Amino acid sequence: MSISLEGRGLHRSFGGFKALDGVDIAVEAGQIRGLIGPNGAGKSTLIDVLSGRADNWGGQIYLRGEEVTGLKVHERRRRGLARSFQRTNIFPALAVGTQLTVAARALGNEGLDDVVEALSLGHLLDRPAQQISYGDQRRLDLALALVGRPEVLLLDEPAAGLTVEESLQLAAILRDLVKKWGVTVLIVEHDMEVIFSICDRITVLHLGKVLVDDLPDAIKTNPEVISAYLGSQAP
Amino acid sequence: MSGNPTSLTAPAGGRDSGPLSRNWRLLTAAAVAVAAGIAAPHVISSVLWISLLTQAVVDMIFATSVGLLVRQNGRISFGQAAFFGLGGYIFAVSIAREIATPELAIILAVVLPTLIAFLLGLIIARIPGVAHAMLTLAVGQAFYEVVFKWRELANGDDGMSVALPRTLFGFDSGMLQTPGSMLPIVWTILVMILVGFTLMARSPFGQLTEAIRENDERAQFIGYTTTLPRAVIYGASAFVAAVAGLLQTLYNGYISPDMFHWSLSGMALIMAIVGGPKIIWGPALGAFILFFFKDVAGDATEYWPALVGIMLIVVTLLLPEGFAGLAERTDVPLRRLRKGRAS
Amino acid sequence: MLIQVLNGVVYGGLLYLLAVGLVLIFGLREIVNFAHGALFMLGSYIGFSIAAIFDFWLGLAGAIVAMTLVGLCLDAGVLRPLRKHDHMVTVLVTFGILLVLETFATAVWGKAFRSMQPPELLSGTVELFGEPFPVYRLFVIAVSLCVAGGLTVWLRHSRIGLYVRASSVDPTTTGILGVDTDRLSLLVVGLGTGLAGMSGVIAAPLMALSPTMGNFILIESFIVVVVGGLGSFSGAFIAALLIGQIHNMGAVYLPWASTLLPFLLMVCVLIWRPTGIAGGKG
Repeated sequence: MSISLEGRGLHRSFGGFKALDGVDIAVEAGQIRGLIGPNGAGKSTLIDVLSGRADNWGGQIYLRGEEVTGLKVHERRRRGLARSFQRTNIFPALAVGTQLTVAARALGNEGLDDVVEALSLGHLLDRPAQQISYGDQRRLDLALALVGRPEVLLLDEPAAGLTVEESLQLAAILRDLVKKWGVTVLIVEHDMEVIFSICDRITVLHLGKVLVDDLPDAIKTNPEVISAYLGSQAP
Repeated sequence: MSGNPTSLTAPAGGRDSGPLSRNWRLLTAAAVAVAAGIAAPHVISSVLWISLLTQAVVDMIFATSVGLLVRQNGRISFGQAAFFGLGGYIFAVSIAREIATPELAIILAVVLPTLIAFLLGLIIARIPGVAHAMLTLAVGQAFYEVVFKWRELANGDDGMSVALPRTLFGFDSGMLQTPGSMLPIVWTILVMILVGFTLMARSPFGQLTEAIRENDERAQFIGYTTTLPRAVIYGASAFVAAVAGLLQTLYNGYISPDMFHWSLSGMALIMAIVGGPKIIWGPALGAFILFFFKDVAGDATEYWPALVGIMLIVVTLLLPEGFAGLAERTDVPLRRLRKGRAS
Repeated sequence: MLIQVLNGVVYGGLLYLLAVGLVLIFGLREIVNFAHGALFMLGSYIGFSIAAIFDFWLGLAGAIVAMTLVGLCLDAGVLRPLRKHDHMVTVLVTFGILLVLETFATAVWGKAFRSMQPPELLSGTVELFGEPFPVYRLFVIAVSLCVAGGLTVWLRHSRIGLYVRASSVDPTTTGILGVDTDRLSLLVVGLGTGLAGMSGVIAAPLMALSPTMGNFILIESFIVVVVGGLGSFSGAFIAALLIGQIHNMGAVYLPWASTLLPFLLMVCVLIWRPTGIAGGKG
């Protein structure tokens, strides 16, 4: 299997605090990779560094073997590295259809219909994004990341704030789209049900370092993971 | 990257009764407006009123330039007078010193400010909100300081009168200083600018700049560089400000550093806000209202800035979308009524 | 030469007194107060009028009290009701207030320039570096250094100071933590405008009084705030001294470009570092 997205020796600190402390990660093409860890483990920072949102970081990033380390956000996006956001990050006053069209102009119309259909946004195209429901806004956020069939999709808690039903629905949509297009996904999610239902492999971050990187079944039973993370949530 | 139409883009026109018919409606309205402007001097008998209207239309053009910045970039500028002043000064100084032929001077007077604003935009586009307001004020005032101090350029703070050549582009330049013929000219230019901005707002570029205004970061994450489109808007906005400054100079035959002063920038901003910059013709409406509000204030003109200040405060608090927003809101029930009658 | 440096410190000190008020208000309300220069001007006139009847010191005290009261009204009557609005709307409203105050001053004191004498106690000169130097200018330096020192101690070591600093970084969280940001803001805005009034009176013997006297110094203090890093107290101090020197040296050695130099410095700093020297929140 070829590697779609790779980060080598990624580090970033805020003052004395090391949010990322030498993280190596390699995601195979077509894989859905889960990224979990306790709060403050560096998950969102890793997504920010990979997507180009962060500044003052170090290390190298490769997309399909090509180095993208020095590239800006929009250049990475045009090369096929897309992301969604933990806090809904859309264009409030623009109609849903308009913002998807603007996105499609930069990235190509390919698969735009599929995205609209899969995320059931078809009936909302004329509505300003600020007027649609929160669940719809979350799906719009995801749709903006999916326009143009990105090679790699970084998802930062796509199910944040959704009901259990909505999250599972979203997980199913994601799995279908990803398998259909062969998109590589790196997903941060607190909802373990979502993580274990869609991920092919899981990386556990702890204090800015990779603790374990293994198959989901192995993660569930890994004692280190349980003590660092899952244990704290176990009933 | 194929240009295949999709079900998302294709019916987009259909939903709105077709962009073509929309553009035709716009052009028809523009043609009617231009015709009204040409007829106005023949209908209005008072030369004073025609003269006042001409000056008001120049203000309307200026306010429109500030409004564009708010509407497409989401930025407020306290330094727009810099480009208004440059429009007038570049023209006046070029012909007074015979640096360029009058026709070339006119072209330079609008092209150079556009270019300067574009380059400045590349620097200040990254700076949002409050810092942006302070920065534009400082940059604008820097131009004022130069013109005020630099006596050799154009008599410093005394200003300078401008002798127009007998003809410009083959036309008698006296037309430019006669209210009856200048009013249709400035009015037609205003209509053309409003039409141009409307078409731009409907274009892909207009949609992109609105997306950037709404959420600069996300625009980058859907694959756009955001500095360049913002800088283009700065340029377009300065172009219109320079046109206004140039027209004022042609009409009055006089330039002075006041054309650069930040109080003028502030006034134009107030006009735009009072009118309602969310709607393309809002700032022009605001300029019109304030111009005649000033005239009505008449004897109390000494207190005029305070009146404007109070009007600004009242409008921002009570009419967040400005007078144009108010007009649109009252227009909706009217339209519904009309539709109801038709069916 | 050294005398010129001192003169630069005098102007830098005045700029600091205005800029630090802007920073205080920005920290709590996240707006820049365009009426700040008008408050400076109003402070000057009030000090001038009181001093004409009584003496300089009473004028100074009266102006500080009056401008603090104006600040309390500004916060309670304008900034607080508008806190949920877009910040740019509030900025525009302060611009409207500027126009109202300038008109008010024109109506009361007229457009003609007025001048004010320094108090007798400070009217002489002292020998410094072999040249005479006005005592009053030393007084201005002393006052601004005292204010800078006092503010630093207050911000670093008092509970309220801690809240102010916390609120400048993140007002929402500070509010959630149980700090009454409205009361805090009342205090801080009052302090900021009081300082504007004070600097107005202190500056009065050094410049001519007119209804528009606040405009130029307001713009330079904007430059100070932007160069120092929006929201940064220490940045404002450094930038004020820097601009003060540039302003003064420019006036002596490069008169034709003197007023432009601060603008150039600002543009250079912003290209080098868009968030200013101390890099506050944009």
